[in-house]
Amino acid sequence: MDDDLPTDFQVIVVGTGMVESIVAAACSRIGKNVLHLDSSDHYGGLWASYNFDGLQKFIKEVNENPKRQVQVYNLAEKWYIEKELPQEENKEGEEKAEDAKPEPPKKLWSQTNFASEYRKFNIDMTPKLLFSRGPLVELLISSNIARYAEFRCVTRVLTWLNDRLMPVPCSRADVFATEAVGIVEKRQLMKMLTSIVGYNEEEMQNEFKDWNEKSFKEYLTHKGLTPNLIHYVLFAIAGGTNNMPCLEGVKECKKFLMSLGRYGNTPFLWPMYGSGELPQCFCRLCAVFGGVYCLNRPIDKVETKTIDEGKTVVTIESKSKTLNCDHLVIGINECPKDLISPEPAEGCDISKAVFITNGTIMKSEKEPLTLLRFPPITDDDNAVTVLEVGPATGSCPKGLFVVYFITNKVKDAESDLLPIAEKIFDMSGGDQSAESEKPKCLWSLFYNVKDTSAPVDSMNDSVHVCSGPDAGLDFDRAVEQAEQIFKKICPGEEFLPRAPDPEEIVFEDDVTHGPEFQREHEEEAEGDAPK
Amino acid sequence: MHGRVKVRTTEEEKARKEKERQEKLKVFEHAMQKIQQKRKDAEYDKDLLDLTGKVLSSNPDIYTLWNIRREILKIFKKNNETEELPQQYDAELHLTEYCLKTNPKSYGAWHQREWVLTTRNDPDWQKELSLCNMYLKLDERNFHTWDYRRFVVSKCNPSLKDEFDFTTDKLYDNFSNYSAWHYRSKILVALYPDLEGGRPIEDIHHKQELKIVQSAAFTDPDDTSAWFYQRWLLGAVKTTTKVVVYVVTPVKITIAFNKYVEHKYVGSKIRIFCNNNLVKGEWFSCTKNQFDVLWILKHDTVITENDVIKMEYDMEDGNIQTILSVKLNTNTYVGKNEISFERKYSKPVVEELTTQLLACRQLLAMEPDNKWTLLTTTVFLHCIDAKQNHKEVIKNLHTLKTIDKLRAGYYDDLLTKWSIEDQLSMDYVNDSDCFKIMFKDKITSLPHLQYYSYCETVDLSNQNLTSNILPSLIILQHCKKLSLENNKLKTLSNLPNLNLEVINLKGNTELAQEVELFKKKCNYTVIY
Repeated sequence: MDDDLPTDFQVIVVGTGMVESIVAAACSRIGKNVLHLDSSDHYGGLWASYNFDGLQKFIKEVNENPKRQVQVYNLAEKWYIEKELPQEENKEGEEKAEDAKPEPPKKLWSQTNFASEYRKFNIDMTPKLLFSRGPLVELLISSNIARYAEFRCVTRVLTWLNDRLMPVPCSRADVFATEAVGIVEKRQLMKMLTSIVGYNEEEMQNEFKDWNEKSFKEYLTHKGLTPNLIHYVLFAIAGGTNNMPCLEGVKECKKFLMSLGRYGNTPFLWPMYGSGELPQCFCRLCAVFGGVYCLNRPIDKVETKTIDEGKTVVTIESKSKTLNCDHLVIGINECPKDLISPEPAEGCDISKAVFITNGTIMKSEKEPLTLLRFPPITDDDNAVTVLEVGPATGSCPKGLFVVYFITNKVKDAESDLLPIAEKIFDMSGGDQSAESEKPKCLWSLFYNVKDTSAPVDSMNDSVHVCSGPDAGLDFDRAVEQAEQIFKKICPGEEFLPRAPDPEEIVFEDDVTHGPEFQREHEEEAEGDAPK
Repeated sequence: MHGRVKVRTTEEEKARKEKERQEKLKVFEHAMQKIQQKRKDAEYDKDLLDLTGKVLSSNPDIYTLWNIRREILKIFKKNNETEELPQQYDAELHLTEYCLKTNPKSYGAWHQREWVLTTRNDPDWQKELSLCNMYLKLDERNFHTWDYRRFVVSKCNPSLKDEFDFTTDKLYDNFSNYSAWHYRSKILVALYPDLEGGRPIEDIHHKQELKIVQSAAFTDPDDTSAWFYQRWLLGAVKTTTKVVVYVVTPVKITIAFNKYVEHKYVGSKIRIFCNNNLVKGEWFSCTKNQFDVLWILKHDTVITENDVIKMEYDMEDGNIQTILSVKLNTNTYVGKNEISFERKYSKPVVEELTTQLLACRQLLAMEPDNKWTLLTTTVFLHCIDAKQNHKEVIKNLHTLKTIDKLRAGYYDDLLTKWSIEDQLSMDYVNDSDCFKIMFKDKITSLPHLQYYSYCETVDLSNQNLTSNILPSLIILQHCKKLSLENNKLKTLSNLPNLNLEVINLKGNTELAQEVELFKKKCNYTVIY
């Protein structure tokens, strides 16, 4: 089959992470001849979503062959349920169902159940949300790639306040409905939020000219907000910490508020079947415009050659075949060390955890989709982002929820995140059918990921290195970087112009039209309703 | 190569669209022509139904076509094609539903639906209610749907509590919704009337609604829908019709009410006795309106210097009120009732208003220039105790005039109204027959003028009155001396005929030309 693969391309992209995939789509869209490779058998790299089986393979690979996954370490998987359900208990459950009770008893889970329903899981390595008016949503719309994806609205934003979970009143409707804040606080909160949205550049300069050196918290305090309101604005809306700089806080708030009211009651969208779907949408567009795809295709060697007229050709050895291109776009985790210059500075690594639970962290009428922003417990800690997704998002079977934790690493993933998990889950194992306030944790996975999100320069102008995922909530940095790389490869070209819908496409075979359709009798035509 | 994509250029696309448009137009014109022809030829058949249906499904706003369809269906019914009628009606509902998808605000389509349901004898109202739910989910502010919902509800009488909760849900989605607040107000009085106290709304719910509306108002004070509802709630008090004042002269008797009443009300509830003889005559309104606040009785009874004159009034609570008169001068008798402009809230509601006033004051301390907070504070003050809080109310209205210049006229009118209410309570205990503005603010309108219908001297000098108020002076049926000195009158053309002795028009500079003519015309002294 290898023989079918042409050897010369304008652009070769290695790695199917978010940045790589956007660049591939953008190049292909304007007519570049693109080859897109990935060393593994699935799309997404560190941005991938796995079903439960795929995830088990990934875990196994990290544990047995750490060199294949150098970015991931401290990985610890733990079960809180039995391998098999005891037979009697199963029966008991059935008997209960036969009782005239209208509610079926809670399903009991075993490790075997997980394995047999493995396809219903889509677990993200890099779970991220989209701001409804953020750059990725705008790009998906303007490029018409949105038609390849489906989204669900995040239904609520929660925070941890006074030792319990609290919904954050973030939209006008929320502020109106909430009973958690007093009437005067409502006015204060709305006033703060509307003024932040309303400031133009000049008013911003004016209002904040003395706040450059100060923290957002000081500003909110100065404005007379009550401690509760400061908590909502600082930790939940701006996603900050006690020492978040004032201007950054304002910027984050504005970003949050600008995205309200477009699709749902919160500013966020979650991709159906997981964040890992998004790189694939871009890959699909790339393919539609002629991009060639090869998974399971590791590269062995990269060389750059300067030929006459100062032109550089990049040569790649892969499975004993030589591929040539004008530009190589390569993900940081696929990239040979010698191409990177200089070695990127060690950033702060990321602590992550995934939990599978038997219920939501806070009951609600309809299945919730939750962003929980957990404020730092002490001043030395970091804020923790928690995302809880349920069966309606295609992330897990009915009756379960998948919960992601993300924070900047302090010690290691488990030490950083377990204390918080214990606040919202029942981690004791034990009887799943027991009624409890907190959902039971059935399975957990802790791991650290190297932060490879800093932009990296390469040794050569024809080689472009794409960063890995960051710890942030959204994809904005990936979109920004992809556009920068595209602009370097194709200066002056439009970045992902709108792709046509099928009915707007004429096939070249159709160009010779038959004679114009003539109406034979006026009578026949009248049946056509004007549209 | 095979099947390579080539995107249509915009020019090509534009030309193609224009061509399509022309095609459509042709088809449309042809169909309309055919419809008109068939109608002319009285061919009311299924064919015409098909034709109009096709045009309507893309242009649901052509009323004429809906009318034609109703004509056809009526003819079908008349011709006793009853077997197929239910199907025809179903098809009609289907068509309107299709049309409403194209334009959810199509008057014609909603109306047609209403017609079908009231015409057929097997309407499915539950289905209609679900349709409303669906459309209000798509657009919670579509007043066509709310309107239609009220129609459906009036037919199928669902649980009022469910309807009430439905408005709650919609308001929690988005409280900027006049239709939902309005519907809520209608259900509220039907669902929770205060049967014991005779008030429109039960205390506990009145309080609860005030709370909700305050939450909305504090969330977004610039959204007026909540304020409208709040004003409605504050106005939802028990009001009874009362006689204010009556005047008996040898020529006529006038009687003023606090509310507008109609002829038969006056005729049946009011009796005037002179020396225990019932005074007979015909009541009429001085403005010739069906409802009025002032009614006149022309009578033949001889009124002398020493008569005993009284009035009997059948009150709303079933009791009879007797008001005796006192002699004003030689043969003019005046009977005044006790008056009050206080709003009679129940104790719990007053408590709630007082709590809310406190919250408003707190907020005002933080943002003293917020117009909505200040206005609400002011309205609360007035509602809780108008007399006690009068000074503060007036001060606030002056502040409002400066921070909300665009509505200065509105605040002026409020100043006028509330100041006159304040003055009236004093004027009614004095025995003067003179009406003179006793407060500093210049009045812009003449509210409650019927309360002064007994006055012989009316001094409206040095005010900000314009010619627009002149027609309302007809109320001053017993006025002899009228001063409009130093006002802003521009014309006298709408000054009503009054039996004046003297009118003072000085200081209305723009009247100069007109006054000369006016002097010649009238039989009383004109000072200018």
